[in-house]
Amino acid sequence: MQRGQALMLTLAILVMVAAAAAENRKEYRFTVGPGCTVSITNQYGSIQVRPSGANLVVVSATVYSDKVEVDQNQSGNRVDLESHLLRGATPENARVDYEVLVPSDAAVTLRSTSGPLRAEKLQGDLDLESASAIVEVRDLSNGHLRVKTLNGPVTLTNVHDGFVDVDSVSGEVRLISVTGRLVKVTSTTGAILYDGDFGYTGNYQLSSHSGDIEATIPQDTSAEVQMQSVRGHLEDDVHLAPKAHTSMTQKAGSSFVGTINKAASLVSLKTFSGKIHLKKR
Amino acid sequence: MTCAELRRELPELLEGDPSAKLQAHLVGCGACSELVRNLETIIREARSLQACEEPSPRVWNSIEIALRQEGLIRQPEPKGRAAFVPSLARRWGVAAWLVPSAALVLVGAFLIVGRQPRVEQLPGAESRARVQVTSRVDVTDQQLLEQLALDAPLMKAAYEKELNNVNEYIRDAQNLVDENPNDEGARQSLMDAYGQKAVIYQLALDRSLP
Repeated sequence: MQRGQALMLTLAILVMVAAAAAENRKEYRFTVGPGCTVSITNQYGSIQVRPSGANLVVVSATVYSDKVEVDQNQSGNRVDLESHLLRGATPENARVDYEVLVPSDAAVTLRSTSGPLRAEKLQGDLDLESASAIVEVRDLSNGHLRVKTLNGPVTLTNVHDGFVDVDSVSGEVRLISVTGRLVKVTSTTGAILYDGDFGYTGNYQLSSHSGDIEATIPQDTSAEVQMQSVRGHLEDDVHLAPKAHTSMTQKAGSSFVGTINKAASLVSLKTFSGKIHLKKR
Repeated sequence: MTCAELRRELPELLEGDPSAKLQAHLVGCGACSELVRNLETIIREARSLQACEEPSPRVWNSIEIALRQEGLIRQPEPKGRAAFVPSLARRWGVAAWLVPSAALVLVGAFLIVGRQPRVEQLPGAESRARVQVTSRVDVTDQQLLEQLALDAPLMKAAYEKELNNVNEYIRDAQNLVDENPNDEGARQSLMDAYGQKAVIYQLALDRSLP
């Protein structure tokens, strides 16, 4: 038995050593000025972006095989990195994981197939594009956030004072404490879940074809809420005050316009065949 | 025999087989006899030309004279009298202006009709038009899926599923617009639906993503 255990342990160590040998960690540093742009394209693997606190872009790329190489380029204030797939690359052996530090006002573009894509504590524009990656963004302010995904789930947390534009064909979109001058989320079959107070100004458009829309709001929310579902139905747990004069045709159970408090923000919740549920926090 | 009749028989004359009438006309008509002489000179000189030699100026003069006598070339028009449609006017007279005039009328009619509000179409016509649009969309979707099958075969099934869902979204939104043509919200829904389709195409065709 002891010999068997020793053999297993030896095998485990050998596997770990082999795996570590296959990994290759590279670091790149770029000095940039204010308002720089950083673009990273990575088919397989994660990309994580955080602020650097300086006029520096620092990229740590972990490459897992020799079937992929990192192409990096700086032209003035523009930094581009791309995972270049070589012959024989597969989704398994072409994986690269990026950890990126950028100036907080940098404009960042991330593109991936498998992801995940993560960004936090930034103030510049952020453009995320993915087929099926998990997208997680938190603690953003002032910038323009643009997310496009085919079926990956999207979670935005604590995003304020900017523009938010999310297109997710079938992935679930979750917004937690997200406010802005314009917040637009469009989905075909994905659900849209909002938890927040819709700010004290702004235009919020959450629409899905067949996905459900659920908004959970506190009692001090100030908004005009337009809810419309052609074939689905509406549930209003907040008991909005009906708005009499409105351009939207109101129909019991499928379209309704109401206000809460001073109606500072304009909120449109629209779905064709999904359910719309306005909940009280 | 008239001069016009002689011109019709010129090939026979030049081949050395003139009719009696033709020969009699040449005796009495100075213009035709000069034409025949010039043409014979051209033929004679042409036989003596070498492959790389430039014809002598006399040959070109003879050709020009013959062409002028045929009416195929004219003296250049004096300045200030350039015709807008010179050759047409000379050939067709007043009728030459009918064609450009008709074209102007047609263009004007097209512009006027184009500015008018859209005439209500028969329901059948609209349905046929929408079916045609749908067919074009389906063909494009098929081309996209075929390309994906080559470039990213693992993703083809996912894209196909999403395309079907989005096409259903577009159809529902279109129906809503048809039922409520003045509803701004319905039109926005249709734009959103097409926007979703655009996202699918963009992700699929992005050459940096497999």
